[in-house]
Amino acid sequence: MKPTPCKRPESKEWGKAKNVNVTVVMINQNETVAKVSAAIEAGNMPDAFDLGRDFMLQLAKNARIEPVDDLYKTIGDAHGGWLDSTNKGSNPKDFGGKLYGIPFGQSGNLLNRRDDVLSKAGYKDAPKTWAELLEQAKKANAPPKLFSMGFALSNVGDANVQNEVLRGYGGRIADDAGKKCTIDSPETREYMKWVTDAFAAGLFPPGATTWDGAGDNNAYQSGQAVFIANPGSVYLNILKADPELAKGSKYSALPGGPKLRTAPTGLNFRAISASSKVKDLAKDLLAFMSDDKYLSDYYGKAIYGPVLKNGMNAPIFKESVLHAGLLDLALNGTPANFPDTDNLALAEYNTNFLTPKMVQKVVVDKKSVEDAIKETQAACQAIYDKYK
Amino acid sequence: MAQSTSSRSLAGLKAPRFSLGKTDAALGMGLVAPVLICLMTLVVYPFIFAVYISFTDRTVGAQVVNFVGFDNFRYIFGTQGFQESVRNTLVMVFVLQSMKLVLGLGIASVLNQAIRGRTVFRGLTLLPWAMPAFVAYLLWKYMFDPTQAGAFNMILIDVFGTQLDFLSSRELAMPSVIIASFWRGFPFWVISFLAAMQNISPELYEAAAIDGASAWKRFRHITLPSIQHVILVVTLLSTIWTTNSFENVWLMTGGGPSNATMTFPVLAYYGLQTLRLGEASAVSVSMLPIFAILAFVVVNLLLKED
Amino acid sequence: MATRLSLIQKIIAYGSLAALALFILFPVYFMAITSLKTVRDIYRLPSLLPVNPTLINYEQLIGTWKFLDAIRNSLIVASATTLVSVFISALAAYSLVRLRYKFRNWAGRLIMFSYLTPSSLLFIPLAVIVAQLGISNTHQGLIFVYLTFSAPLSTWLLMGYFRGIPVDYDEQAMVDGCTRLGAFFRVVLPLSVPGLIACSVFTFTGAWNELLLSLIFITDPALRTVPVAVSYLITGDTVRMGLIMAASIVSALPIMILYFIAQRFVVQGLGAGGVKA
Repeated sequence: MKPTPCKRPESKEWGKAKNVNVTVVMINQNETVAKVSAAIEAGNMPDAFDLGRDFMLQLAKNARIEPVDDLYKTIGDAHGGWLDSTNKGSNPKDFGGKLYGIPFGQSGNLLNRRDDVLSKAGYKDAPKTWAELLEQAKKANAPPKLFSMGFALSNVGDANVQNEVLRGYGGRIADDAGKKCTIDSPETREYMKWVTDAFAAGLFPPGATTWDGAGDNNAYQSGQAVFIANPGSVYLNILKADPELAKGSKYSALPGGPKLRTAPTGLNFRAISASSKVKDLAKDLLAFMSDDKYLSDYYGKAIYGPVLKNGMNAPIFKESVLHAGLLDLALNGTPANFPDTDNLALAEYNTNFLTPKMVQKVVVDKKSVEDAIKETQAACQAIYDKYK
Repeated sequence: MAQSTSSRSLAGLKAPRFSLGKTDAALGMGLVAPVLICLMTLVVYPFIFAVYISFTDRTVGAQVVNFVGFDNFRYIFGTQGFQESVRNTLVMVFVLQSMKLVLGLGIASVLNQAIRGRTVFRGLTLLPWAMPAFVAYLLWKYMFDPTQAGAFNMILIDVFGTQLDFLSSRELAMPSVIIASFWRGFPFWVISFLAAMQNISPELYEAAAIDGASAWKRFRHITLPSIQHVILVVTLLSTIWTTNSFENVWLMTGGGPSNATMTFPVLAYYGLQTLRLGEASAVSVSMLPIFAILAFVVVNLLLKED
Repeated sequence: MATRLSLIQKIIAYGSLAALALFILFPVYFMAITSLKTVRDIYRLPSLLPVNPTLINYEQLIGTWKFLDAIRNSLIVASATTLVSVFISALAAYSLVRLRYKFRNWAGRLIMFSYLTPSSLLFIPLAVIVAQLGISNTHQGLIFVYLTFSAPLSTWLLMGYFRGIPVDYDEQAMVDGCTRLGAFFRVVLPLSVPGLIACSVFTFTGAWNELLLSLIFITDPALRTVPVAVSYLITGDTVRMGLIMAASIVSALPIMILYFIAQRFVVQGLGAGGVKA
């Protein structure tokens, strides 16, 4: 997870130029849903705001945000065109025929690893598959001070990285139509074997089943984890707070499975409220905020990959290892939740953390893998049935 | 203020009557009105609204809202999270309240003795309660940290060379949440009991001591009966607070691991994250019957005339 | 107060009090030493003793995070809530205890039931009401919303206190020429000062500590109250443990001082509310 500023202070410059009074408010990502829900119900939404793709799906369905298809085209044309990955993630079809937000940044997880530790164990290169990662992890594990797999298995967004392992082994949450859950499959059993083996071998740090969003970061920053999946906040933190750890760390794309390698990139959008009385001004603001110079400064301070072709020229993508990784992700990544159909039912599956909960059923509740899969399949289908 | 003037002349003429005066009625309603108006706006109306939407398919920002009868309840009752949260909420409330009752009475009895430093200890007891709840629970979460950064595991690793998963194992998660909640919640009980005990006439104890009654007998036959009303009120009131408590579970475990600490308010909060207001309300509404019973008892107790 | 204690009883009493003190103080001690550590030392050099103690967290808290603004906001909100709530509750409590009228029982019940309604159920409808009144994202709005929990509790506590004051006092005042309201303001209220203090302390604490509603209704960073400011120290995935502990100490301090000064009244107030009810 990462902090998503709701609007950036720089928009004040635009306000000065246009002689408009812009009020900028940052809200914690953790509270976005509660806050925006209250604001929507109360009818006092901000004119423009940032949001993730899932939330945009929901708001688009209820027509609470304004279609911006024309603006999307104008901005693209003016800045060298949108990246392919941006176009894929902004397909109006996914939102019921129209596009409701202007993308401004891509984020995704990179695999952070303790190169200092792994080199000593004889591994110079980043693991390319989850099986390789498991092998390296077993060698490097040195409890109680050092645990290899700093991946969350708890009820937090970070734990949904497990979906990528599941997909790597060929598993799928639901069918292509996005109607029927397909958790109960041989591929899921293979994934479950991977994760439960790792757990049984004591590779996960204690607490991984109840970590909050900061759990994996804390484990890594305290030098107690070898691998974590992180969008970049850890890198920025240790650069300042623990240069020694930063030196021993390396970053690579997430590994893949025998069937598939995904590198999910999540698009972040800026949207305009349907209730706004100054929609044209708001559109103008979004256009201003997509300007090359503006975005270049912005990327220098944020942890995002670019969305526009011109955006790739921002100096930060050459200066920082992390940002180079994010650029790579923007160019070569896969859409969020690929190859599953990214719909509202899947969003609810994810907010209910059913994949990590399936793992918890085995490692915490000591249920059999079979029971865990069957129960999860049923819970998943109950969610999908609500969206029929 | 015409009413008050007439009541003065009345008072001047003969012994005042305190019931059923017309002026009293008007004044009474006038005085209670500000609080009532606030609560009608801030509680009663939202409450009715919330109950209503629990029977609809309302999502955040929905333009069209359909009445769906008991569909939301049917879906929720069928989820594992709900079934576990019923059990967890009951277990947490029962264990926590029993601990607070027994230890609260014990601590209050000790503090009620003629011992040195009573005032200091009384102030000390209030300390956890004076601390903002979310601060207290963040602190406890940090103390329960499964690695050596946590206070308890720091000691365990140093002394026994082992660590415990206080918040992330099924066996320990609920007890750990209960201990932290006890720390934050017990002062209210101790102070209430202490206040009540100080109202008991010392002569009762002196007489009993002359009769040779043991400390336990004095507690059993003098202290307990004298404060039983307070015990009842405190227990019921605190039970409602505890059943409603959100921060303890949310901050420490988020309801995990695997629903081991999932309680009603946390489940309702998760419901909200999916923006399905109808469902989220249905979670809260489905615990209302229990509340209604508790609340009914408390209200009748509190409003009973002496 | 009971009889003198035997030696064994004394040993048990002091032993259990020592255990109690340890149970209460250990977390507070841990909080204090953590607030004096840097992030790196917290994780890399775990220790129950201070390690390289530094005031950097406090400096950052007050400098970078402008925490004193949050303290000021909370002082404003909590004080105003206390004044408004205790005043209207005192009127209501007097009315419910001393006056007889048709809807009295009904009103009393409604006030009590309000106190027992879970706030998680209420906050979305509350947001709508606050927006319609045009006071969202203001301290006034927050103060108004805080009446949901403060007014019923204050009313209940004060009802207990007023019942403890013999009706003869009112009667005598009225015989001496006071109006009903005059008797209340000049006789009953002055006699209830300890109860009013206890009630104010509770209301103030409740408003000072409230997180959920404040998080939702206050958007402007300049208006944030203390609990919200602390929760913003946890941005997404970085928990600044040292900072948070420093903030916790700074935010708990005013309340602890308040309790220390007012503890006698707090005990009395609670006693009255419970015993006389």
